[in-house]
Amino acid sequence: MTIRHHPSDDMLQAYAAGTLDEGQRIAVATHMRTCARCSGWVSALEQVGACMLERLPPTAMSMDALDRVLGRLSALPPPPAGAIFDDVPGLPAFVRRYRFGQWTWVGPGVHLRPIELPVDSPTRVFLLKAVPGTRMLQHSHTDLELTCVLSGAFRHQGGYFGPGDFDLGDEDVEHQPLVEPGEDCICLVAMQGKLRLSGLLGRLMQPFVRL
Amino acid sequence: MVVLVAERRDRAAFARLFDYYAPRVHAYLLRLRLDPVAADEITQEVMTTLWQKAALFDRSKSSVATWLFRIARNRRIDAHRREREEPPIDGAILDIPDPAQMPDDKVNAAQRDLMVRSALDLLPAEQLELVRLAFFEGFSHSEIADMTGVPLGTVKSRLRLAFSRLRRALDDGGLDR
Ligand SMILES: [Zn+2]
Repeated sequence: MTIRHHPSDDMLQAYAAGTLDEGQRIAVATHMRTCARCSGWVSALEQVGACMLERLPPTAMSMDALDRVLGRLSALPPPPAGAIFDDVPGLPAFVRRYRFGQWTWVGPGVHLRPIELPVDSPTRVFLLKAVPGTRMLQHSHTDLELTCVLSGAFRHQGGYFGPGDFDLGDEDVEHQPLVEPGEDCICLVAMQGKLRLSGLLGRLMQPFVRL
Repeated sequence: MVVLVAERRDRAAFARLFDYYAPRVHAYLLRLRLDPVAADEITQEVMTTLWQKAALFDRSKSSVATWLFRIARNRRIDAHRREREEPPIDGAILDIPDPAQMPDDKVNAAQRDLMVRSALDLLPAEQLELVRLAFFEGFSHSEIADMTGVPLGTVKSRLRLAFSRLRRALDDGGLDR
């Protein structure tokens, strides 16, 4: 598949450095599952980090650090099995361990499924599913919104977005995505701030959608 | 060495890895402004993870240092979580990269390491220093401007230049498409 839309370089660097907030980290990791270009660049950056790590002058740990670790090794529990969420393919392994809410109807042809993050994050993460032909509400953002397509496709003023594509919306962007014909479009969305729905329907929906 | 740890559960080999890498992982965590006790604790966890996950380590795909860098970075994300007394959500799972996240086999890990090293060495000193502060030590651009006395706009443009040089160097070497 051809991926046309990628996260910004800044975002990939922050991912590799470990400084993205949890919600954005999930969105970028989801994109990298299918994007060889971004995942290749991120591993190169991780090698840059490793190279810098190896060149650091070592610092002294506590005297008994090695003994404490050796002591721990014998008492290690087996790796946890745990339930893995797997009914939506394309999510990174670590996200599948998070708690998923129920699919909830949020509008004609549109369902939303929240993902509970294990940490406080200024970014909320959810799956959004819309049937072909759905014209999503005209909306703008008070802050950053990252979307990664898992299946299906949509199109808006910014172009065509199919599986793996990464869309970035901010306060300057006002767009109205249209779900392409074919299959349901499922996206992972990481959203900061509030969503502003415009138009009469938007205002009626707002209290209900509570985004 | 990691192979010995993985296949024979060789504690002597593990201790040698520990002696070399743990003080460097510790130094990295101190650079990220963790206090020495927390840095010590997280380093121990990182090395424990190496023991636990040794069997998943594939040296054709990644060097030990890159693997440890990734584990240390993820463990630190987990540690933030604990500070707020939230239960860690199986942070161990974070350390296994998804298959798609692995670079292709065009060049092996050792060759790639060499390429990264020489790409870094070819950067002008002031750009390398900025990459170190911004990317490795996690300072914001404005913090770096304050620390170094370099104007914010210059910090940003030098960083952009440095990363695009790196990207070009590593792209040319077949690191990514
Ligand atoms: Zn990409």
